[in-house]
Amino acid sequence: MVDLNSLIGAVVSGLMIGSIYALIAVGLALIWGVMNVINFAQADYMALGAFLGFVILEALGVDPLISLSLIFATVFLVGILTQVVAIEPVLEAPVLSQITVTFSLLLIIRYGLEVVMGPYTRIVEVPYRDMFIRVGGVSFSLPQLIALIVSLAVAFALYLFMSRTFLGAALRATAQDMLAAQLHGINIKQMYRLAFGIGVGISAIGGVLLSLFYPIYPEMGAFFTMIAFICVVLGGFGSIFGAYLGGIIIGLLETVSALFISPSLKTLAAFIVFILIILFKPKGLFGR
Amino acid sequence: MKLSRALVYSVLIALLLLLPAVFMVLDLGFAAAALYFCVQYSIMAMAWNFLAGYAGQVSFGHAVFFGVGAYTTMILLLFYEVTPWVGIPIGGVMAALLGLGLSFLFRLRSHWFSLATLALVTIFLLLFQEFAPGRAAGLQVPIVPPEKEFYYLRYAGAYYYIYLALAYLGVEVLLMNYLVKRDVGYYLQAIREDEETAMSLGINPFKYKVLAMLVSSFFMGIAGGLYTVRFRFVDPYCVFDILLISIYPVIASLLGGMYTFWGPVVGSFVFVPIFEYVRSNIVTAFPRYFGLHFLVAGIILFLISLRVPRGIVGWLEAKGYVRRPRYGG
Repeated sequence: MVDLNSLIGAVVSGLMIGSIYALIAVGLALIWGVMNVINFAQADYMALGAFLGFVILEALGVDPLISLSLIFATVFLVGILTQVVAIEPVLEAPVLSQITVTFSLLLIIRYGLEVVMGPYTRIVEVPYRDMFIRVGGVSFSLPQLIALIVSLAVAFALYLFMSRTFLGAALRATAQDMLAAQLHGINIKQMYRLAFGIGVGISAIGGVLLSLFYPIYPEMGAFFTMIAFICVVLGGFGSIFGAYLGGIIIGLLETVSALFISPSLKTLAAFIVFILIILFKPKGLFGR
Repeated sequence: MKLSRALVYSVLIALLLLLPAVFMVLDLGFAAAALYFCVQYSIMAMAWNFLAGYAGQVSFGHAVFFGVGAYTTMILLLFYEVTPWVGIPIGGVMAALLGLGLSFLFRLRSHWFSLATLALVTIFLLLFQEFAPGRAAGLQVPIVPPEKEFYYLRYAGAYYYIYLALAYLGVEVLLMNYLVKRDVGYYLQAIREDEETAMSLGINPFKYKVLAMLVSSFFMGIAGGLYTVRFRFVDPYCVFDILLISIYPVIASLLGGMYTFWGPVVGSFVFVPIFEYVRSNIVTAFPRYFGLHFLVAGIILFLISLRVPRGIVGWLEAKGYVRRPRYGG
């Protein structure tokens, strides 16, 4: 029998890890929604963000949460560079070329990071790493709580950007009808660059938040890539809101199912849900 | 000077048959190991390309067939004392049966299929880690007395295994050539280009996709069985490795030319030596640069995706250096 306290604990930690998944998935959904490209390297920009945070902390002693906007800006620029160098040349090419290009990005970023940083696992030594907050019989890890709050704030900021600003409206217009948007004088090329930059930048924020309570290593993207796909498919490809919720659901599914089945099999549940969804409800739960 | 096709083929075949013997006499262990990998990856890349290049179903999950073939051969050998001479083909059959079972994935189109097959590898990794004999620790072929070497297919070095792999590659080439030269090749390409039109011409896309899947998964399973006897050790991480097992055949096929018959073989023989050289000579000397060979693979994949999307053979054909075959491809 699973007692109530551990169930509450599982739900809360599911929300927290889910909020990280959600950020990576949101970036993936944004890129897919705007320009129909599946970015296989999405989670490796996350690892890039995490390692930037680590390097800045080691070199300058600046807490990753403080350098967060700098990290976002850096990865945003890396994303735009990627778009110009790698994605733009294959936008008109067959789907296969797009898949292989983003897959090559995955290899280049992941193993480039490994060559530069060495194949070691690192801990981001923030002072509040091991702190807990106790409410009733359940204790919450402080960095996980921070991660949840920042993730929600980032998602809210993205929502405001997309709904309240001209650029956001232009992005949405591009996603809805590329040709019509172009006829209204929107520069599609720049919208694509913006979408890719924001998409991978948000993923990098997810990486920084994760690094506050999770060891980081250059190959960490491997696991999160698949998770991000699962979240996006669950939420319905192209729906940003759906992707965020998909992330939360997968986080919950993992931690809660770990209580009932063997913890080593918890990921299996998520993957089987993935296959079932794309087979039977390919538009996802919140698809358009 | 115009060389006849038959002459070129005979010279290449003779060279391939001679090389392992030369390596053995000169004691070139590394060259033999690399050549073995070239042949093994040729089998895998041709298998992958039959489904992806001809039928247009881009699978990232071919490691599951490889793994099932490898485990079947190993389990038969270890627990039932079945010689790999029989175990490897049975591994291929098991992989083909799995391929048949997974045919329901053909409901999915283009990248959805790729995503689902990618997820499949992780599912199999987790399942085998938890439930397969040997679990996460894997299984190992025991040391056997010399008189049983032949039965257990347990030889030192790569030399004999090259011939074994070459024999299977030969069977694969003959079978695929047979299929491609007949109507099947045209049907598959029609399905790849436009499924609706193919259907309106009376071709049953599902039937031919399943056929392509059967052939493809069978030889992927064979490659798994070969891997088992060559390295005598299987564990879930090795045989269900997304990069080394699922993606490398993709890179080799792309490099050689996906929509061509010989592309995957050419690609394997170009790509694998580069990769093996970096891995053995640089990464082993400087463990700090672990991952360099994957980085090199990524850069190669990046460059072919952007610069030579038709691959080496496709490029040669376009330039007129190689005659485009009248059938298939």
